[in-house]
Amino acid sequence: MSLALYPGCVIRTVHPEVEKAVKETLSRLGVSFQEKTEASCCAPSWFFSLSREAWLRLNERNMRIFKSTVVTACDDCFASLSDAFRVLASRNGVKPPEVKPFQALLLERLREVKPRLGFTGLRCAVQHSCRFLRPSGRGLDNPEDPKIVKSVLEMLGFLPVSYERELDCCGGFLSDENIGREMARVKAGSAEKAGADCIVATCSHCMLRLSPVSNIPVLHLAQLSAFSLGLDPVQAGFPEALLRRMVKR
Amino acid sequence: MIEKLREKGAGNPFKCVQCGSCTSACPVNLIQEGFNPRRIVGSLARFNRIPDQDPWLCSTCSLCSERCPQGVDPLSIILVLRAVLYENGGTAPAGVLKMVEQVKETGLAFSPTLESRERRRLLGLPEAGLSTEGLREVRRILSEAGFK
Repeated sequence: MSLALYPGCVIRTVHPEVEKAVKETLSRLGVSFQEKTEASCCAPSWFFSLSREAWLRLNERNMRIFKSTVVTACDDCFASLSDAFRVLASRNGVKPPEVKPFQALLLERLREVKPRLGFTGLRCAVQHSCRFLRPSGRGLDNPEDPKIVKSVLEMLGFLPVSYERELDCCGGFLSDENIGREMARVKAGSAEKAGADCIVATCSHCMLRLSPVSNIPVLHLAQLSAFSLGLDPVQAGFPEALLRRMVKR
Repeated sequence: MIEKLREKGAGNPFKCVQCGSCTSACPVNLIQEGFNPRRIVGSLARFNRIPDQDPWLCSTCSLCSERCPQGVDPLSIILVLRAVLYENGGTAPAGVLKMVEQVKETGLAFSPTLESRERRRLLGLPEAGLSTEGLREVRRILSEAGFK
């Protein structure tokens, strides 16, 4: 069955190259998907904080539009959609539609397809998003020792590196710019100190927060997967600094 | 306030034993000691009133809820405090209110710009945004939920 693709507002408007990379990755792994351009913002935590009713009703509308399993490219959207669908479905006594984060689908498909990929040697520091790890009741990954994104990177021919502040929150959802920026600065600095060539995220708010303060490029996992599966790195939105590092390696 | 928390399905502050696991896990408290989830929950249980702390300083990382041995779920309480502040006078950070405005305008929390439209076109991606009919529906939902 075809999946409904939900890239999320930030990826659609700020990081279109990530949307391109998500679509290329899915196509190159033989996943059939439909883009639902009529879906609105999923009204995540900042919106939910103001009105639970608006959050539920916007997502009731989104649920009607999707009609099938949804794959999200941003972990904030993943959390908002799956939480809202669970509440809506329990009201009607039905099973909620499945919402799958990109990295979980990618892991499944890579295990099935087993593509033969080259080793790039690029060292990646993973930005594990809070929304993907917690609450641990979601059962997607171990929040104290997350493995999914690292396993995906290894399968794609990249080298995940561990770093001291790996499990810290990046401050992506903080309205207070000073505190948010400080959290991101400490985190990005720790990744750089561990010798990473880039930071790899699966949440667009982590990307927005980390990019302006990081000395090393911040990419979405889909950009790496699309590149590894054969997409031109410029089309995948690889910054020039990263291309230079790759040539050096 | 306790009644509001119950009504909105948030955690129960009376289950809190003030152990401080939430605050020791809180990444914001590490930078700004004034923001203290243990005190927020404690003052609700003790005085049943809105604590004198800005709930928008929370990063919503949910580590407090994850680490709480009593299942109090401090994050759910902090989110209700934000809602109550908004209902009582429309207080919320400017950035958040701007995103609501953008959802009203385009259906998306971030509006497409001329530059991002051009980048989408060059990448062969369709225009981002809802149809006029879809947008009308989104606006109706927001206005019925009390967003003017």
